[in-house]
Amino acid sequence: MDFIKTLTIAASGLRAQAGRMRIISENIANADSTPQRPGVDPYRRKIPTFRSELDRTLDTQLVELGRVQTDNSAFRLKYEPGHPAADSNGNVKYPNVNPLVEMTDMREAQRSYEANINVISATRRMIQRTIDILKA
Amino acid sequence: MRRFLGVRLFSARFQLGSLLSINHEPGKVCLLRRMLQRAFGERTVAITDIPILSMLHTRLGWTQARQRVLAENVANSDTPNFRARDLAPLKFDGPAAPPAALALARTSSGHIEGVGLSQSPFPDGNSRVFEVRPAGNAVSLEEEMMKVAANQMDFQTATALYTRSLNLIKTALGKR
Repeated sequence: MDFIKTLTIAASGLRAQAGRMRIISENIANADSTPQRPGVDPYRRKIPTFRSELDRTLDTQLVELGRVQTDNSAFRLKYEPGHPAADSNGNVKYPNVNPLVEMTDMREAQRSYEANINVISATRRMIQRTIDILKA
Repeated sequence: MRRFLGVRLFSARFQLGSLLSINHEPGKVCLLRRMLQRAFGERTVAITDIPILSMLHTRLGWTQARQRVLAENVANSDTPNFRARDLAPLKFDGPAAPPAALALARTSSGHIEGVGLSQSPFPDGNSRVFEVRPAGNAVSLEEEMMKVAANQMDFQTATALYTRSLNLIKTALGKR
């Protein structure tokens, strides 16, 4: 039954986008997580990856959240001499999280999620139409 | 048994439908038919033998398969190096299929050729890739949503026609 496969594929898309939202929320929540002492790195931004995976029992291309990568760009430096993590020049390393980028990513995840929901509801309506043949 | 004669009459009236038949082998997998044959002899008509129903059967199967392909596209809309795919349209090769192209007859090679039936002045929108993102992903969600909606409409049309055809059979049987 292809419709069941369709629903499974769309559900895998939902799961992948939900995992992406989790990572984005981690990034946003830790946007100001500074280290406790100097010389230690603060929170490093995480990047979700996706990969297409063949499900052999269903013979379909499902999507999965791949290994979570880290963003290797430079940390933000802020001049705060009184901070416990300040180095000898009074600079504190802040995480390399840009809230604007995270918000954009979040909207994109939301859009993809809605697209998958749309496929599910379209498929459900189609199944309903098939069942309606019985009632005719 | 006499009941089935009504169905015969019905299918005779739909000879036009058989002219339009899509590549479908009627009664390919039908246990029920075999049981009916055993019970009534060879002259039974399985419901999939009725041309219009077998056509709709093919159409519904195609729409279902296409929905799966579209769902794959949408689910992989963020996967790197994924290209959107689509199903080839159903082949229509019955005797009533439209001819390939009708060109104007010309008496001189200098005359304007005229546009044939198959040549549309507008380019086919499905053949091109909408955009490829830096990650190598070429799925346009808007396009996929349009296709899902169109697919749903196709399916609704087919199921509505199926219901109507079943109603015709019921009328022929005198059930309503």
